[in-house]
Amino acid sequence: MDTVTRRKFLKLTSGAVAVGAAAPLLSIEEIAQAAITRPLPANTPILVVITLYGGNDGLNTVIPYKDPIYFSSRPDISYKPETMLPLDAELALNPSMKGLKALWDQKKVAIVRGVGYPDPDHSHFSSMAKWQTASPAKHIATGWLGRWVDTQEEDALLAISLGSVLPPMLAGAKRSGSALPLGGLVIPKGDLATQCLKLSRPVQKDSKLMAAAATSMRNLFNISTSVQPILKSPAPVAPDLPTTNGGNAGGDSNLAQQLDVVAKLIAAGSPTKVWSVSLGGFDTHANESNAQAELLGVVSDSLSRFMGQLKATTRSNDVTIMVYSEFGRRVAGNGSQGTDHGTSGPMFVIGNSVKGGFYGDQPSLKNLVKGDLAVTTDFRDVYATMIEKVLKSPVDPTLGKWAGRVDCLN
Amino acid sequence: MNAQRLETSRLFQRFGFGPRPGEYAAALKSGVVATRTKLLTVPAVDAGAAAIPAPAITDLGPRPAPNSKEVVPFAIELRNQISIMTLWWLDRMALSDNGLTERMTWFWHGHWATSIQKVNFAMPMYRQINTLRTNALGNFKNMSRAMINDGALQFWLDGQDSTLKAPNENLGRELMELFVLGVDRYTEDDVKAAARALTGYQVKLSSGDVTFEPKRHDPTLITILGTTQAFTGETLSDFLVARNDCQKFIPERLWYRFISSTNPMPDSFSAVSAFSGREISAAVNAMANDAAMRDESNDLVKSPVEWFISACRALGLTPSKLTTPGQLVSYLDKLGQVPLNPPNVGGWPAAEAWLSSATAQTRIAFAAWLIKQADLKVLTDIPVENRVLKSADWLGVAEWTPRTQAALRNSLADPAQFALLALCSPEFIVSA
Repeated sequence: MDTVTRRKFLKLTSGAVAVGAAAPLLSIEEIAQAAITRPLPANTPILVVITLYGGNDGLNTVIPYKDPIYFSSRPDISYKPETMLPLDAELALNPSMKGLKALWDQKKVAIVRGVGYPDPDHSHFSSMAKWQTASPAKHIATGWLGRWVDTQEEDALLAISLGSVLPPMLAGAKRSGSALPLGGLVIPKGDLATQCLKLSRPVQKDSKLMAAAATSMRNLFNISTSVQPILKSPAPVAPDLPTTNGGNAGGDSNLAQQLDVVAKLIAAGSPTKVWSVSLGGFDTHANESNAQAELLGVVSDSLSRFMGQLKATTRSNDVTIMVYSEFGRRVAGNGSQGTDHGTSGPMFVIGNSVKGGFYGDQPSLKNLVKGDLAVTTDFRDVYATMIEKVLKSPVDPTLGKWAGRVDCLN
Repeated sequence: MNAQRLETSRLFQRFGFGPRPGEYAAALKSGVVATRTKLLTVPAVDAGAAAIPAPAITDLGPRPAPNSKEVVPFAIELRNQISIMTLWWLDRMALSDNGLTERMTWFWHGHWATSIQKVNFAMPMYRQINTLRTNALGNFKNMSRAMINDGALQFWLDGQDSTLKAPNENLGRELMELFVLGVDRYTEDDVKAAARALTGYQVKLSSGDVTFEPKRHDPTLITILGTTQAFTGETLSDFLVARNDCQKFIPERLWYRFISSTNPMPDSFSAVSAFSGREISAAVNAMANDAAMRDESNDLVKSPVEWFISACRALGLTPSKLTTPGQLVSYLDKLGQVPLNPPNVGGWPAAEAWLSSATAQTRIAFAAWLIKQADLKVLTDIPVENRVLKSADWLGVAEWTPRTQAALRNSLADPAQFALLALCSPEFIVSA
């Protein structure tokens, strides 16, 4: 489904900042080295959400490598046991996820198995909407973290998504998270800035969309004054990763670039409690093995690089990372060396405060539900845990009454 | 808000890509009925579109091996063809005298959303756009059949890998979910069955030629949505298009893109009954006449391409002549919408997704870049004492809010800044 290929990563990462010329626009170079005036208080927990678009094949991510059914159901796309990275006597990581395996060995990775929701939907769009709104039964217009934003004081920097299009997850009823493009911001100055701010004033008869258009410009100014100087500074160096040709391993991927910016801003004390980054391309209906291994390698390398960067800051214990995709894939391969849309999949929760290990039951390969893996953990159990333990907020306003939790955080 | 101004503005913004200078004021004089008829009547020959030469898109042949010496000229030519094809289409949107055909072609591109990122050849995408244009206002049954036989779509959704022995569900699922019926109007068993019905196609990717190989096709009786018969891709298409759900689904998609992406389509939407014969033009005409066009709550955010083209039409700019085309595509990319590059098979998002602080900053830089290349005489010719209010007519905006009037009034001494603020105002970004 998704078209973000390695080639596109390279194209995106090499793209220069677009600078318009006629109007007095401010370039990054011109921006003063202002310090952030209201840094996030020390020891405030931070949530980083990583969305894998396209439906990541969970069975080839966390692999039941002792189960003969795994090998017999997907002869074209199963991995050889000796290449996998064993986690225990039954499960192993995809061979490309060495960085994540190292974090697992340090007990910093919780793997929640069989995560999904009731009545799994096989449509990318419906399923992703269910995950992002946290409302599987009924479509609603707000995202789960957007509803959390609604409960907080207005602050354009509170929840930030990297990239120019805002994911539905961050859309609230009253307010939304902000989007931050890669490559920094170029904002107007002088009289143009004054007039732009005039344009961004709310007026009473504004429709919801008109108001959103005005707010987007207002947020641009709010974000730019505090974030801009930080983007100029170099990313924190990950002390324990080898540096090659000006970048650590994984540095050529768009995900790594997004996490670089997040690391910089966290290091600088941006008053942001929620970050959203993403990687696409997981819709592997055909020729899956190479494509998925490459993507999982990017995820793994980017995560270990990011964790390394945080180590160089004072906030390494504050950050919790959550990784999910809209569904896993069918157990049996489809004959095009790929897999069709499935149901449950593993989620990863990563950080220094994480109690490493497995959570939830591994879905059986023998007792399938209509050819698909059973759902053994509801994703709202994980969300509720994040809201309570990381964001230190009550669960009800965001998820309604929801009792389930995953006890994976200290 | 003045009802005539609102409806006239919507007709220009939604059934075309916005007015050229003078068109909106003239339309207000001739009235809504005459304006609607004019904008919905596709001329036999559109002089503006006819003046744009077709791009030289060729079959580049098989892709040379990586790292071979042939691969470099191949890649250069491929990039060149993709670029001229993209600019050709943007030029057609900006320069057509009547905007409806290109507007509908653009709608269908987002509907049958196929990305050149995976197809990676220009010719199949070029053929697909032309197929969409040929059928843009025709009969949906013909369009759906034509798309089943479209090389770019087949390759994009792994149709050429789907065989009797190993059916691939990708095309079958999206045909039902996204193209013809709508989500949840079939079961998972129907998806599996549709995949079998669609087996047997082969694609020559460099040209987009599609062939059907009976040996790879599943000829057995298949049950889809309660009907058991031997299906082919084409009979499956006809079967799905004939379903009542198709009669509802296509009007739903039209509603979402032309009327409101935030309000749900009411059952009474007149495009539904107008689509009973699957005639797209009948549905579009009904939609343009529907009471929803006069309901103030049905505002819509212009997508980045729609915003860009409406700015080009107002400023008299030709996309292919902008300096440079690479910069143009870079701006569109930063706004999140490059033609031929939908983010996924569901097409582009809508509404608030286009209204982030990131797009606000890109839009300002993009507008400044366009204005630098434009002759602003059309603006400076408006007497300065009327310029604030009359500039709404120039852009086909129904009404400036007091905040925008204030910003424009403060910029009267600087026409470039005036134009930039107008193009980046909420009232121009959103079709009220």
